[in-house]
Parts: sequence; C-alpha cells; structure tokens
Amino acid sequence: MTLLDFARGPGLQWSLTIMIVGLCWRVVGVFLGRWRKDLSRPRSDALVQGGLRAIITRSAPAPELEKNIRWQHLTGYVWHIGFFMTVLLYQPHIAFFKSILGFGWPGLPSHLVVIPAAITLAVVVMLTIRRMIHPVMRAITTSDDYISLIVIILALVTGLMAYAHMGLRYETMLALHFISVELLFIWTPFSKLAHMIFWLLSRYRIGTYFERKGVKA
Amino acid sequence: MSTLDVIPVNTEILTGNVEPLLHEVRHALRRLANGGDGTVIDLQSLPLAPGEEGRIEELLGKGEVRAELDALGPSVVQETSYPGVWLVTHRNTEQAVVGRFIEVTHMPELLKSQQADIERGISRLEHQLEN
Amino acid sequence: MRKDQSLGEYLRAQGVSRRGFLKFCSATASIMALPPTAVAQVVEALASARRPSVIWLSFQECTGCTESLTRSHAPTLESLIFDAISLDYHHTLQAAAGYGAEAARLAAMEENAGKYLLVVDGSIPAGNNGYSTIAGISNLEMLKETAANAFAIIAVGTCAAFGGLPHADPNPTGAVSVSDIITDKPIINVSGCPPIPVVITGVLAHFLTFGTIPKLDELGRPAAFFGQNIHDRCYRRPFYERGQFAETFDDEGARKGWCLYKLGCKGPTTYNACATLKWNEGTSFPIQSGHGCIGCSEPNFWDKGGFYNPLSAGMWGSRDALLGAAAAGAALGVGSAIAARRRQKKAQGTEI
Repeated sequence: MTLLDFARGPGLQWSLTIMIVGLCWRVVGVFLGRWRKDLSRPRSDALVQGGLRAIITRSAPAPELEKNIRWQHLTGYVWHIGFFMTVLLYQPHIAFFKSILGFGWPGLPSHLVVIPAAITLAVVVMLTIRRMIHPVMRAITTSDDYISLIVIILALVTGLMAYAHMGLRYETMLALHFISVELLFIWTPFSKLAHMIFWLLSRYRIGTYFERKGVKA
Repeated sequence: MSTLDVIPVNTEILTGNVEPLLHEVRHALRRLANGGDGTVIDLQSLPLAPGEEGRIEELLGKGEVRAELDALGPSVVQETSYPGVWLVTHRNTEQAVVGRFIEVTHMPELLKSQQADIERGISRLEHQLEN
Repeated sequence: MRKDQSLGEYLRAQGVSRRGFLKFCSATASIMALPPTAVAQVVEALASARRPSVIWLSFQECTGCTESLTRSHAPTLESLIFDAISLDYHHTLQAAAGYGAEAARLAAMEENAGKYLLVVDGSIPAGNNGYSTIAGISNLEMLKETAANAFAIIAVGTCAAFGGLPHADPNPTGAVSVSDIITDKPIINVSGCPPIPVVITGVLAHFLTFGTIPKLDELGRPAAFFGQNIHDRCYRRPFYERGQFAETFDDEGARKGWCLYKLGCKGPTTYNACATLKWNEGTSFPIQSGHGCIGCSEPNFWDKGGFYNPLSAGMWGSRDALLGAAAAGAALGVGSAIAARRRQKKAQGTEI
C-alpha cells in the first residue's frame, strides 16, 4: 500500500471517524450535562431571538474594545475567510466533499484560489510568530494553541506545494496533504479547533443567558 | 461513417509551445548566419496539442525547395519560407510518421549523397560497364 | 539475418542505403528520447551492433503487450528493430510448438549463456504453481531457470512489472511480478497496460545501441519514458489550472475538451509517455479521446478506488460507517454526561 493509498483509504476513513465520534461525544456531553437552574425572574421571554442575535453581534468585538484589538479582529477575519475560500471553492476540494456528501457546488477558477490560500498562510504564520514573540501572547498561549496552529499551517503548506508540484513527487505531496488534513480532523474534537462547532452553541448560550437577564449581549 | 463526423473535434486547445519553438528557431538561424553550427529540433519531443503541429507548419510556410526521398518509406524535406529552416518528415512504408524534425542548416545531411552509397554505386557501375 | 552480421550489414544486405540507415537512426534516436545531437553516436553504434539473442516468456498475460508491439505486419520501425534482434522463443510469433519449441529455448539459453535478453510478459502465479504452466513446467520454474543465465530481464507490461490485473484485489492466483521472484539480475520494468510500442522498442534500441540498461527510475522503469507524469505533459493542463472540468461524459465541458480530473483522471500520479509519444504512432491517447487516464503504468492501478473516482476524493470503505461513528459518538456523549452528572451530584450533595 503506497502512502497515497493509505492517505486516501484507511487514513481518511479513520480520521473522519475519530473526528465525528469526538465531536458528537463533546456536543452531546455538553447538552446532557447538568444545567444550573436559574431561579431568578426572567427579564425577557425572547430567549431564542436573543440567542440568535448574539451569534451575529458576537462576530465583532465590543465597541469599547475594538480600538485596542482592531488588528487582531481584521487579521483573524482575513485568514478565516481565506481559509474557507480555499477549502470550499477549490474544485478538487469540492470533488472531495461531493464524494462524502453526495453533492457539490460551483467553485472558483483554480489558479485564482491560490491567492486566498497564500494570503491565509502568510497571515497565519505571521500571527503565530507574533504569538511567540509578544510577551502577553506568549504568556497566555498553550500547547493546544501551538499544535492547532501547526496542523493548520501544515495543511496549507502541503496543499500549496502539491498544487504547485513543488517539493517531492506529486503523489507524495498529495499524500502528505491528505495526511496533514487527517491530523487536523483527529486533533479537532480534542482541542480548541472544536470551536468550529462550538462557536454557534457558545454564542447562542451566551445570548439566551444575557437575554434572560435583560441585557443585550 | 457519417455518425463519426458528427462528433466535434476541438482543435482550439493550446499548449503555448508554438511561440517558444519559433523563438528557438530564430536563435538557431542567427547562430547559423553568424557561422555557427546547424541545429536539429525533434518535434516529437515537445508536447503539442492536436492542431498545433499544423499551426507550426502554417507559420513556417513553404519555400523554394521540396525534396522527396524514398528510403525505408517516403520522407519529405521541405525548405520553409525562411531560408535555412527545413521541415523534415520521415514516414515508413505504411505512411505512418516515424520522425518530424526542424533542421536549421544550409543543407540537411540526408539530402547529400552518402560516401558508403557512392562506393557501392561505383562497384555497380563498374560491374555494369563490364557487361 | 545471420547471427554474425552486424545490424548495419543486415540493413545493407536488405538493400537499405546509407541514407536510409541515417533516417532509421534519427527516428530511432527520437524513439529513445535522445536529443538530435546524439544521432551520430546512434549511427556509429547501430552500424556495428551485434544481434542479441532474445527469449520471450509469456506467463499470466492477455497477449496485449505482444499485440501492441506487433500490430503491423508491414515493415515499420518497430518491426525493423524487432528483426534486428534474434527472437529465439516467443509463443505467439514462433512457428514451432511443443517439445521442439522448448528444445529451441534451451539451445538458445546454452549457446548465449550470460548474453541473452529475457523478455517476460504476464505475472507469475505464486499461489499455486499449477495455475499457469507451459509444457508442464510452472511459470515460476521456467522463470527461474531461464533467468539464471540471462544478461538482463525486460518485464514488459504492468503484469510482469508489478503484477497487473491478476494481482488486483483479491489476487486469487497469488500473482507476483518478475522482480518479486528474481532479485539477482538487472530488471527493466516497461510498464503500461499495454506499454506504448515505441517504449518497448526504445528499450531494445537502447540495448542495441549502447549494450547497457537505460537509466531507471525507483520503480525500475526507463526514466526516459517514465520520468514525467501525464499531468505535466497533458495538453489539457491549462483547463485544470483554470478550473474548467468536465462533470460528466458528453456534457458541454467534455465536448469542449476540458480537464477530466473530476471524471477520475489519474494523470497527476501516473508516469508514462502517453501525453507526448501518444498511441497508434502519434494519433491520440486516452485523454485526447475524452477518457481520463486510468494510471495503467503504475502498480496496483486496479485498486486505487475506481477509475471514475477523482484523486481528491477518498477511497471509501463505507460512508455509512461515518453515520455509525456519529451514533457511537453520541452514545459516548450520553455515557460521559451520565458519569459527569453523578459526580456533580455527589460533589454537591443535593439535587438541584
């Protein structure tokens, strides 16, 4: 079995299985855990709207904080949007999703997707370096952060190198790209990367919690 | 065979190799003109889309000299509209193309009579004169 | 052709002029993917080349490789090179049969010990020696016996080079390649299902010209022909770069000649000369004719997840297993929630 056969076969099957098991475990576990009963009088009964509103309002920092963190705010969005464009609008990726989900969607011309991919990689690397140099960032960064950043960077680097036919032979680069993405899958449920699911749940929860207290979150 | 004709053949795809090839020919011609050696380019070694070989032939055009050889099948040596640039096409006895070259030279080697053949010709002529 | 004649003398005796011989050499150099500057060397070498003895053994094969090589019965370049070798044993092409044929093989082996070329097509069934036999001798036996005194072995076709179709899952005959059996002789793998005819003759021509094995890649294939992958030489590459793919056969993209990646083309991971040399003397190749490359010159190409499954898609074991995984995850979630609730109750002592 070649490296590519492993990457496209059992590697993919098992990493996706682990990711799905892990995420379902965490989500179900969170929902079924004990919730502290709130014995106060609710100030509003529009809890669902409050939850949904928070999903949108929490997309940007509070106005009072914005001037201090405008840089992180912008770069964070740049690289997340670039990442989604790369993952979701590159035709071979769409073919990958189609093989799992059964449906695809229109994509961008392939040679244009390189632009968001390259920008994403540059921004992530820059932010990582900043995280390692800046004293406050360094103090609050954990191994979870570093490993999460490494798997993201590996996926971007191997993807770009495979696309450009750089580095090792193409089938090896493609296998390495598959494997780096599989590492990402496996790491996701057990790390901060799980925020890809939890961001919706957390914001909704905060929204309903504050709405009940009569606070616009 | 009319149903086969209905299938459209797309000849608009390009590899982009036509222009660089012509530049190579230009450089080779300049070298030749300045007293340097000739150059041979093997057209079969380049990836060319269907139709691009025809395009190259079209662009090079036809010159004053056309020689047809009959050796192990027909071959054609055509001077293009650019003197010094010759298009050599080798075919076997089944008319299939076995070699395609662009030769940038004063006179393609293949057109000259070969020493070994001349020697054999002399023996044959002597033999004929004896009889 | 007499055995002691050189190739140059043989062609002269056939009435081929020196000019004809020069034409032959430049076409041969082109086949060998040598630059035109090497033609002079080819001329000199072929003029004095001796006629090597070649024994061709056919094992578990479909004869496609022989067919690929010998399609035309009028003299072609390929057949001229073929004539230049002394083909002392070949099931499909020889006139002899039975004991006479086997005797000819053994005589050729003895006469040319250490100098003959062994060409093999077809895989060898290592699962049971009885699956494929010739004159009562198993393929395994015959291969070992004939390889012992060969100069080199050319494994023609993906079956001989890597196991090929018989080797595909579940490999009922235990088919193996030549290099799985013979480990002490130089082996040239000319893979492909079938290989492009000029690649086979190119290897023979190299041997005739230089008397050596051509430079090989890490799978033992001649680097001159298998050094580039199809994708890098494919004329449809601009469409790949621009993201213009055919989604189904005969849709608008397919009619316009767009890239066949989404229809399962394995061009990016396949190394062969199809995109440059093409087939049927330069007529076309699968991608040009509208079908994606199936990767036939690579090992295990039958088991790469399907010819119509794109390279970026997984080779699925079971998509339903993922639903099972979700269920399993949920179950784990329930379990850990129950355990957590119990712990919390115990810690807080009250039911809230």
